[in-house]
Amino acid sequence: MAKIGRKVAVPLLDLAAQHEPLREELLVAIERVISSQRFILGPEVSALEGEIAQRLGVAHAIGCASGSDALLLALMALEIGPGDEVITTPYTFFATASAIVRLGARPVFVDIDPLTYNIDPGAIEAAITKRTRAIIPVHLFGQCAEMEPILKICARYGLHVIEDAAQAIGAEDRGRRAGAIGSIGCFSFYPTKNLGGMGDGGMVVTDDEALARRLRMLRAHGAEDKYRHKYVGINSRLDELQAAILRVKLKHLDEWTAKRRRNAERYRELFSEAELLDRIGLPYVREGAYHVFNQYVIRVPGGRDAVVAALRNHDVGVEIYYPVPLHLQECFGALRYHEGAFPEAEKAARETLALPIYAELTAEQQAYVVQQIRAALADD
Amino acid sequence: MNIPFVDLRAQHLALKSEIDEAIARVIENSSFILGREVERFEREFAAYIGARFCVGVSSGTAALQLALIALGIGPGDEVIVPANTFFATAEAVSNVGARPVFVDADPAAYTIDVGKIEAAINARTRAIIPVHLYGQPADLDPILELGKRYGLLVIEDAAQAHGARYRGKKVGSFGVVSCFSFYPGKNLGAFGEGGAVLTDDAEIARRVAMLRDHGSERKYHHELIGYNLRMEGIQGAVLSVKLRYLDQWNELRRAHAALYGELLQGTPLILPKEMPYAYHVYHLYVVQSEARDALRAALTEAGVQTGIHYPVPIHLQPAYRSLGHRRGDFPEAERQAERVLSLPIYPELTAEQIARVAEVCREFFAMTERHRLSSACGANADGRRRP
Repeated sequence: MAKIGRKVAVPLLDLAAQHEPLREELLVAIERVISSQRFILGPEVSALEGEIAQRLGVAHAIGCASGSDALLLALMALEIGPGDEVITTPYTFFATASAIVRLGARPVFVDIDPLTYNIDPGAIEAAITKRTRAIIPVHLFGQCAEMEPILKICARYGLHVIEDAAQAIGAEDRGRRAGAIGSIGCFSFYPTKNLGGMGDGGMVVTDDEALARRLRMLRAHGAEDKYRHKYVGINSRLDELQAAILRVKLKHLDEWTAKRRRNAERYRELFSEAELLDRIGLPYVREGAYHVFNQYVIRVPGGRDAVVAALRNHDVGVEIYYPVPLHLQECFGALRYHEGAFPEAEKAARETLALPIYAELTAEQQAYVVQQIRAALADD
Repeated sequence: MNIPFVDLRAQHLALKSEIDEAIARVIENSSFILGREVERFEREFAAYIGARFCVGVSSGTAALQLALIALGIGPGDEVIVPANTFFATAEAVSNVGARPVFVDADPAAYTIDVGKIEAAINARTRAIIPVHLYGQPADLDPILELGKRYGLLVIEDAAQAHGARYRGKKVGSFGVVSCFSFYPGKNLGAFGEGGAVLTDDAEIARRVAMLRDHGSERKYHHELIGYNLRMEGIQGAVLSVKLRYLDQWNELRRAHAALYGELLQGTPLILPKEMPYAYHVYHLYVVQSEARDALRAALTEAGVQTGIHYPVPIHLQPAYRSLGHRRGDFPEAERQAERVLSLPIYPELTAEQIARVAEVCREFFAMTERHRLSSACGANADGRRRP
C-alpha cells in the first residue's frame, strides 16, 4: 500500500490518459474526415454501424446523436405516445424517463434489486396495466439487468423490450450481449462511457428490418429521400468525426474492459486487506453476468457523505450516481410519486458513491483511494 | 469542368492550420461537450449578431425546438410558419406538441408572404416563425407589427442567414429569440451538427441553457424535462475560427450572385431578387424556370451539380397528411416547388465556374428555343411542359 500521508491525485476519469497513447491514430482519423469535408452520415458512420452490429450479432445498427436520442428514437419507432405506459427503473440517469415523457407517454417506475441496483424483475408484473406498452431495463453501471424473467414477462403480456445499454457496451447476460437481447438496444458514446467519443453520440440496434428502416428515417427528419418527409422525425445524426474517433477506440474496447474488470478485482482485494468488507458494500456481480464496470459503485450505509467529503478533500474524484431517484425529481412532480414509493432506490441514492475505475487507473492510485476511505471511516 | 454544388474543401485548405490548432486544444482539455470553446464561441457570435445571449446547441432543429419550449409553447398552441422552408421549421413546432399553421410564400422574395399572415391568426396562435430563406431576410417590420398587435412571439429562423441584414441590422437580433444552424455548408458551418439560440432575454437564455442539458442547472437535479441537445467542444472551436471570415465569405457570395445576375440576364430564368430592405447573403442562389427539370438535367449532364430547395412544400409532405391540406392551398409555395433550382454558390467558386454555369443555362434555352421554333408549325404550338 502507498505510504500514509503521500498525496496521489486520482481523478474520477482521466480521458487525457486514454487519448495520449492513441493520439496519432485519433488525429489521423480526424484528419481523414476533415479532409473529406463530409461530416454528416457518411462512410465513417456506416462503417461504425457495421462494426458494432457485427460485434453484437445484430442485423442493424443506426448511429444517432446521443444515448438520450437513441432511447427517444426507439420509443418513436415503436410508436409509443400519449396514453401509453412504459415501465422502467427510478434509479438511472434522467434520460431514460425523459424520453418516455417527451413522447407524451407515462413512465411507470419499479423498484430496484438492492444488490445489483438494476430493476427488480419480481416487482415488474404488479406494475403492468392494459396501457403498458414496453419495458426499459437499464443495464446500470455496466451490468445487465436480469433479462430472462423480463423477457418472459414481456412475452406473456406482449410488451416490447428496449434495453438501455448506455453504460453497458460489451456486457453480457448468460452469454447474450447487452443491447442485442430485447427488441431494440440503445447505446451512448458520451465521453465517459467505456466506448466514448469526443462529443455526444449514440446508437440504436435491432434485428427487425422494418424498425431499422423507420429508425433511419426518424433520425433524419423522418425523410425517406432528401426533402420528402414521411414522418415527423427529429434531427439526430451521429457526426462523422465522432464515428471516426469511435472506430479508433473500438479496437481497444476489449482491452479497456479487461482492465476495468481487473481494477474492480483489485479494489475487492484492497478493501478486503483493509478489513472494510463489513463497512462497505462492494459491487455485486450476478451469476451469469459479465460486468463491464462503467462505474464502480460502492455502498457505505450511514457514512456515504463523510467518505465523499474525505475523498474530495484528498484529491480523489468521486461522484454520486444518482443523488435523487427519478420519481423524486422536481420535473416529474406531475407523476405524483412520493418519498417511500421505491425504498431501495431511495436508499441507494443515500448510500452509494462511484469510485474511479477507468482502464488507466494504477494500483498505486487504487491503494490510495482505499486508504483514504479507511481513514475516513476510522474518523467516524 | 465539374462544378460541385458545394465545395467545402477549398475553404478548409485555407484555414487548415488554424483549425487543427483549435481542435488540438479541445482534445488537450478534454472539453468535448459545451466547455470553454463553446462558451467562447457563444460570446463571439452573440457580439457578432448583436444579441445579449447566445446558447450553443446541437443543431438548427434543436435551436427551434428549445426556443419554442423555453417560450412555453406546447399542445393546443398554433405557430405560423411559411409553407416553403426546410421541413425542420414545422417539425420543431410539431415536436413540442403545437400545430404548425402554414402561410404562402412571397412570389418575389420567397420568404413568408406578410400580406397573408393576418388571415392565419386565431385565438390559439402563439408565435410566428419567419424564415430568412436562402439567405434573404423575411420582411420583418410588418411581422413584428403583427406580433405586437396580436401579442404573438416572433421567433426568427435564421438557419440560412448568418450575417444577413434587414434594414441595416443583422437578422437574429429582431425576434424575442432567433435560431441558427451551423450545419456544414451553411454560410457559417461546423464540422458536424451545431446550432444556436440567441436572445436578449436573460430568463429565456437560462431556460434554453438548462433545457439543452437535461433540464438541470445542477448535475443530476432536474428542474425541467430537458433534452440532450448540447453543442460539442470541437464545433465551438471550429466555429470560432470560421466566424472571423464570415463577412468576407458573405461578400464573395454576393459578388458571385451579382455575376450570375449579369450573365443570366435576358434568359427566361427568374433570378433571385434582393429586396430593398435586405442585405442578402446568398446561402443559396435560387432561380426559377418553367423547364426546371430539363434544365437541371442539362446542367447535370454538363457536370454542374444543382439542388432543389425544396421539391415538396411542407403542407404537402406525407408527414403532415393529418393536417388535411391539399394541393392548391398555398399556390405560390407549390409553384415554387415545381420551378426552383439552386445553382452552385459558395465563396470559393470562381468567375470561370460561374461563367460556365451561365453558359450551360444559355445553351439550354437557346436549344429549347430552336426546338420550339422548329415545332411551331405543328398543330400543338403550345410549348408548355406542365400538365
